[in-house]
Amino acid sequence: MLENSIPGGTSGSDPTVVVVSTGELALAEHPSVLLTPALGSCVGVAVWDAARRRGALAHVMLPSPANAPQDGNPDRFASVAVPKMIALLGEGLSLKRFVAKIAGGAAMFKGDTQMASIGDRNVEEVKRQLGLLKVPVIAEDTGGSHARTMEFHLDTGLVIVRSYLYGIREL
Amino acid sequence: MRPEALSELQIDAIREMGSIGAGHAATALAQITGRPVGIEVPEVRLLPVIEVPRALGGPETLIGAVFSRLLGEVSGSVLFAGTRGALLGLVDLLHNRPIGSTKTLGSDEESIITQTGFVLITAYLTAIGRLADLTILPSRPAFAFDMSGAVLDAIAADVGMKADTAILVQTAFSTEEERVDAVVLYMPDPDSLEVVLGRLGVV
Repeated sequence: MLENSIPGGTSGSDPTVVVVSTGELALAEHPSVLLTPALGSCVGVAVWDAARRRGALAHVMLPSPANAPQDGNPDRFASVAVPKMIALLGEGLSLKRFVAKIAGGAAMFKGDTQMASIGDRNVEEVKRQLGLLKVPVIAEDTGGSHARTMEFHLDTGLVIVRSYLYGIREL
Repeated sequence: MRPEALSELQIDAIREMGSIGAGHAATALAQITGRPVGIEVPEVRLLPVIEVPRALGGPETLIGAVFSRLLGEVSGSVLFAGTRGALLGLVDLLHNRPIGSTKTLGSDEESIITQTGFVLITAYLTAIGRLADLTILPSRPAFAFDMSGAVLDAIAADVGMKADTAILVQTAFSTEEERVDAVVLYMPDPDSLEVVLGRLGVV
């Protein structure tokens, strides 16, 4: 069982689970659960609105489009996705009630230094963008060299991080 | 050049290049294992970089991957990858043991897979380089074993710094008794692709 699957893996057939693919973001409210599978150097950003029991989850792939083509899905960039998810959660609302939890930003290939830095830069840019919007990061599971799947429960704000090496962690 | 703007003729040329590269890789694998190794007709796909993680099973499928960056006259990436089961089978082939003998993927197995993957990658690139009269060398290989989505999204992110679209040339190797369901993914940067197609005379 453990050999070829991730502990506690979600089948994805549950209609209340909203799956966020690479480079995408989604908004949902309780009782839905937001899930993003297999974060490598990518960073999963969960922003929670406790009062409304809703939140947004993004699967960010790159820091910013500065040195990359502008076309294609812009939500894959932290500098685009983070402000967009805050706007979707409620522009004009007091931002003080939003909190963020992040996971991912690993260096999947240890032998390749150029690639190894992408994860770190993603984490850095996500934190910078959240900082600009005054959204505190209250928990994180970032870095290392392992993949993570992130599950975001909108009733309690609980984020469950699953990995092949470390099993289940709660943020 | 934007990869999605490729003509049918150019896609055929890339497919041919992929076949020759994969053929040489299969020959290399046959020489290492001492058994005939066949290849499947390569599948050439043009994908948005964000869809690359979906190329090898579901995002949470565990895979092992050997990655090299291209050095020399063209740039891009090349990857040798397989599921856990396929890679354990490959280790058995290399040790000339019945498939299923190897149960764990430890550091010895990781080393064997990395070396073999690198031989395949090099054979593949040498074939393409010869065809296009270009010097293409692989960088020192890096290995990862984890969820396929995470391994591939790290590579897609790397490619995504320069391109929106990745070109995947995907092939599987098989021996008489067993199918080693591993793939070689070739992701040239768009500028490099133009150079290669130019050498092949299909620009």
